[in-house]
Amino acid sequence: MKYRYQNGKLTIYLEEEIDINSCRTIRGVIDGYIMKYQPYELVLDLSEVKFMDSSGIGLILGRYNLIKLLDAKMTVVNPKGNIKRLIELSNMNLECVQYE
Amino acid sequence: MSKNYIKIECKSVIENIPAIRVCVSTFLATLDIHIDELMDIKTALSEAVTNAIEHAYDNSEEQVIVEASIIEDKKIVIKVIDYGKGIEDIALAMTPAYTSKPESEHAGMGFTIMESFMDEVIIDSVVDEGTTITLTKTIRKRKSNKK
Repeated sequence: MKYRYQNGKLTIYLEEEIDINSCRTIRGVIDGYIMKYQPYELVLDLSEVKFMDSSGIGLILGRYNLIKLLDAKMTVVNPKGNIKRLIELSNMNLECVQYE
Repeated sequence: MSKNYIKIECKSVIENIPAIRVCVSTFLATLDIHIDELMDIKTALSEAVTNAIEHAYDNSEEQVIVEASIIEDKKIVIKVIDYGKGIEDIALAMTPAYTSKPESEHAGMGFTIMESFMDEVIIDSVVDEGTTITLTKTIRKRKSNKK
């Protein structure tokens, strides 16, 4: 999983499949980076995600709650195909989701 | 009526979920099915299997059965069967954002996703005997169709 940290902004490029099985590892890695950098902004880039189910929604919401605790902001970018519909369905009041 | 099917019988551990998805989607790929619809089915299947493994047995390891059928080259029926504790209150379980395990970061979206990605979701559950989820979808978008 690639990431980039610059000027307080931490971008994490999620990839492959996000389900309940892979979630535990991914969560550990993301939270590790968040703790290390304590960013002002977290960006989760979904462009390389091949599959995601509601475990991924749980993962995103969980990170959102963590980021709020740190008084930072979070953005989710580039959800594709049915992942975009999945996010819309979940009604995440994420002003933070950007479709592009 | 022509019908083809596969049946997967496996231990109820989350490590098996990716294998179940790959197996069923490879089976369905013999159909002329558009990737969008295949992804929807994969997602709904993943939700149903995750529920069976996470909730039916309270993390003890038992068995989950997935049966996928193709009827008349267009109707897909997937049954996810467990012999676990059953669902006491189906209406509650289906409520969007409800989760019986709030501590584990679940979105509580499983049934909502199944219902919106499939044509029909039937839940047949008996407490202490088990649950069968039947997911049905008729293929509309064909891969070979340019539309």
